[in-house]
Amino acid sequence: MSSEQTLSADVVIVGSGVAGSSIANELARAGISVIVLEAGPRVDRQHFVDNFRNLENKPSYQGPFPAVPWARHPPNQMTPNEYLHTTGPNAEAYQQVYLRMMGGTTWHWAGCAWRYLPSDFELKTRYGQGRDWALKYDDLEPFYYQAEVMMGVCGPDPAKEDLGSPRKQPYPMDALPISYAAQQFRKLIQEKTPYRVVHEPQARNTRPYDNRPTCEGHNNCMPICPIGAMYNGGYSVYHAEAAGAKFIPNAVVYKIERDSANKHVTAVHYMDPDKGSHRVTGKYFVIAAHCIETAKLLLVSADEQSPNGVANSSGHVGRNMMDHTGVQVTFISGDKALWPGRGPLETNVIDNFRDGDWRSERGAYLVHMVDDNQVDLATQLAISKGYVGKELEEQIRYLAAHTVRLFSHNEALPDPENRLTLSKTNKDILGIPHPEVFYKLPDYTVKSCEHTRGLFKDLMGLMHGTDAQWTPGYFPQDHPSGSTIMGTDPKDSVVDGFCRTHDHENLFIASSSVFSTVGTGNITLTVAALALRVADTLKKELAHA
Amino acid sequence: MRQDRTGRPPAEWCATPNAMRLNRLVRMSRRDVLLGGLGLSVAGLLSPAQADTQAPAEKDSEVGRFMAVSQRLTDRDVLDSRIGTALYAGIVHANPNRAAKVQALHTLLEDSKPATAADFARAAEHADPALKDVIHEILTGWYRGVADNKVVVYRSALMFDITKDAIYPKTYAAGGPFYWTSKPPEVDRPTGSPALSPSPFVIEPT
Repeated sequence: MSSEQTLSADVVIVGSGVAGSSIANELARAGISVIVLEAGPRVDRQHFVDNFRNLENKPSYQGPFPAVPWARHPPNQMTPNEYLHTTGPNAEAYQQVYLRMMGGTTWHWAGCAWRYLPSDFELKTRYGQGRDWALKYDDLEPFYYQAEVMMGVCGPDPAKEDLGSPRKQPYPMDALPISYAAQQFRKLIQEKTPYRVVHEPQARNTRPYDNRPTCEGHNNCMPICPIGAMYNGGYSVYHAEAAGAKFIPNAVVYKIERDSANKHVTAVHYMDPDKGSHRVTGKYFVIAAHCIETAKLLLVSADEQSPNGVANSSGHVGRNMMDHTGVQVTFISGDKALWPGRGPLETNVIDNFRDGDWRSERGAYLVHMVDDNQVDLATQLAISKGYVGKELEEQIRYLAAHTVRLFSHNEALPDPENRLTLSKTNKDILGIPHPEVFYKLPDYTVKSCEHTRGLFKDLMGLMHGTDAQWTPGYFPQDHPSGSTIMGTDPKDSVVDGFCRTHDHENLFIASSSVFSTVGTGNITLTVAALALRVADTLKKELAHA
Repeated sequence: MRQDRTGRPPAEWCATPNAMRLNRLVRMSRRDVLLGGLGLSVAGLLSPAQADTQAPAEKDSEVGRFMAVSQRLTDRDVLDSRIGTALYAGIVHANPNRAAKVQALHTLLEDSKPATAADFARAAEHADPALKDVIHEILTGWYRGVADNKVVVYRSALMFDITKDAIYPKTYAAGGPFYWTSKPPEVDRPTGSPALSPSPFVIEPT
């Protein structure tokens, strides 16, 4: 079954997350026609809030977001998994979760909006590790600011608290006042260690912004902000639609068509949930479908012209898979009550390990003291210990007031052997193979995690902590990157510094998949900045066309 | 930080997502109980209309016995019988033999008249180690608001009642701008001991 009518636009974008929707918004505002194809459904916030409240396993961030059968996403971080199949020595460390629906995975991010450090773009030159990006921090700086304005990012005054990424303008909003628990943690770190705790820059309103309210501290940034005080990709969708961009939900792109020279993309093809096939033509195409789905789509599009997949003359599509692997410990502080969980989820960070000469040996990391409401965990723990009645209630209060959770984001390195391929055994209802990832943690990351464990033990000692529960092994932080790696040499990279594929002149990629290294700090602001730079390039080229 | 539902008209709380969940749960339980042939007394008590509006449960009914056992295990004189009805339905739905275990707990309660939850729980585990599991389920129901791995109540779970001077249930904050910067109450280290033997604590997968 094929569509009678061929759809067409100046720019066709695959994926409606932060990257795709922000490009659509920029282009539509400039009068350029845009079609965005989203594999998943159109969704609304209140539905997810209801789902969350009715969810027994509250820490399950995927829980409130059930997938539709034609656009599966990982149901959880478990191995084996019903959708993302991981293998290799550290399979569990790559069990990422993400969402396939209008607005993308920022439905359940925590709003942490870090700029990378200048050194993150030059890891090879400065420290002899990994790769350099095909762009510098200064190339991205204006787009970082544009992304901060788009999302509404609050952060500290650089004169008082310099986060290491030079700024030409202040943050759009003042820093979010940190919670009592974080204040106490900051005081401890300041007095008892050589380190520091900084305000985390966040896409969260500290005043009304973009017709969204000020944060009220519902402590539910993940999995769902109930009031929209935190930015998510859905807002860029709404803005782009208001500016005239056309979004088509439930449109699963499965083929990228090229001209006879294989230099120019001519159309993408999508299936609707009933397997009806539709062709969409355009002048430019942007794949903005998340690191894992972007690589999957390029590989699925393999044909006689490109037997290894589209944009894959280098053979690097699906390789160099990276993440911020995490170390995590939960313990009971022996000091005064902290009552974590009052206010937003993640507001403060130890940033001393984001950069240093030691990066020639081990990966960087940052540390969160998570401000997570611990009442439910405390209740489960107190019941399992055997308390009942009045004693149970005392325990719940004490544990909820004293439970501390620390976790880290540790830097990976691009290794071509860490590779995404198409599953040979699992397909979705449309016949599209599931993604499969082989993962072995780089020694660089393992050394970084060991360093973090040592730090966490020290911090636990300073807080007179007991009942330590270490999350076993290494766990994924849902920041997959590298699957269509950026570089200057078409022989060992997929896109250039402008995120244009080396192989196809009108095909761009806007995703963490282009990252050459993964630095520290959440990846979303960098994804948005790269995407806005793609929009800038497209606007210029279409103006001259 | 008030989140008590007590006193709100039934029509209002029936309209909440939790009420919808409760009604669905009750309907499922009713069907399953009927299919399982466990008796009309339970099925009759659990009709959706009654669950929302019924008077406090009769002492000699199954739910009445569940409420008495629950009051002793929580050291509380007052518990919401509508929530209790739904919790009992969930617990029995997940594991039909729990009806007999609750009956056994009730018999022990009547026979020994323990003065505290701790005394009651100790005696129960001593009489039958398998009673520990049902005690866990009852406490999980009241304090977490969960039975049969489903949410019966969220905001009204007792864990939020006993922490409401300090913290809000996620998604329900109402403390005003930047309330989180203020100092929360101090909590003394508890002196009480566990009444039951410890059980493995397994964090659910994310």
